[in-house]
Amino acid sequence: MRRWAVVAAFLIVAGGLLLGGARMRPFGAPRYDLMDRYFNARSQAEVATNNVVTAIVFDYRGYDTLGEATVLFTAVVGVALILRRLKR
Amino acid sequence: MTILAILQVVVLILIVAGSVLAVWLKDLLASVIALAGASLLLALQFYLLQAPDVAIAEAGVGAALTTAIFVLAIRKTQRKEEE
Amino acid sequence: MSVVVKTIARILLPVILVFGGYVILHGHLTPGGGFQGGAVAASAVALLLVAFGPGSVKKLKAPFSILEDLGGVAFVLLGFLGIGTTFFFNLLAGSGGLFGAAAPIGPNPGVLNTGGTVPLMNWAVGFKVLGGLGAVMVLFGLFGGDDDR
Repeated sequence: MRRWAVVAAFLIVAGGLLLGGARMRPFGAPRYDLMDRYFNARSQAEVATNNVVTAIVFDYRGYDTLGEATVLFTAVVGVALILRRLKR
Repeated sequence: MTILAILQVVVLILIVAGSVLAVWLKDLLASVIALAGASLLLALQFYLLQAPDVAIAEAGVGAALTTAIFVLAIRKTQRKEEE
Repeated sequence: MSVVVKTIARILLPVILVFGGYVILHGHLTPGGGFQGGAVAASAVALLLVAFGPGSVKKLKAPFSILEDLGGVAFVLLGFLGIGTTFFFNLLAGSGGLFGAAAPIGPNPGVLNTGGTVPLMNWAVGFKVLGGLGAVMVLFGLFGGDDDR
């Protein structure tokens, strides 16, 4: 019974992935590319960086980086709380 | 089918093989090294898919830092998996 | 660890640190950036920890914590620099001062003195990630006594 459940789950997941892969759009051609073209055209003039990814991460989407920094800080605080030394 | 597409398929198959090996092996240190190899191949796959930023992050965090943390954990506990 | 591992670690340690610094410094020109460079530099701490044991990095716990906090504070302050327009507005880009040169439009080898606040934020986030991941590694190594096996 359990083996059949595993096989069925494997078949469903693999079939879904294969179906999704077969119907995928061609590489580098997303359906909505308005923001892509905006960033590619304007980032050198507006942010003065050659690396468009860095321009997006640190300038256009700075809030996301702030959230990522907060996540990292929270993770470090959590590790320091769990692994702190209780007694000598 | 270009040579790049064939290389991507080979790298993907090797990633799956490394992941299966990481689950399969009973020696935990060998398992961790298999996982590091799969992570490094995943970084190569990111590079082939034209995302070098993600590739550097994956190589630094996935292949180096997690491996070191696992090695430290194995050093502090035991090396063989219990049945 | 054995003598081979220690010798190779001594050779590789400055190379890894220099590469991390390069990835952070050229974050606005080549692939990479603050997080990636910080992670690469933190892997040097991992190498130190695995090769030489936790006793070699025991003193680095407090400096890494302070570095993490200072990096976060510097990042938020650099974000507040452009508060006259919006939060995270790039005030220094194209102003002619520090990192203020205008970038050439189109494909070009890259000028280091461009980017405005982006390179400074790269350094802040890089030190923050180095401090955070390094502190995590050191805490992991020091947990349960620092036996050097």
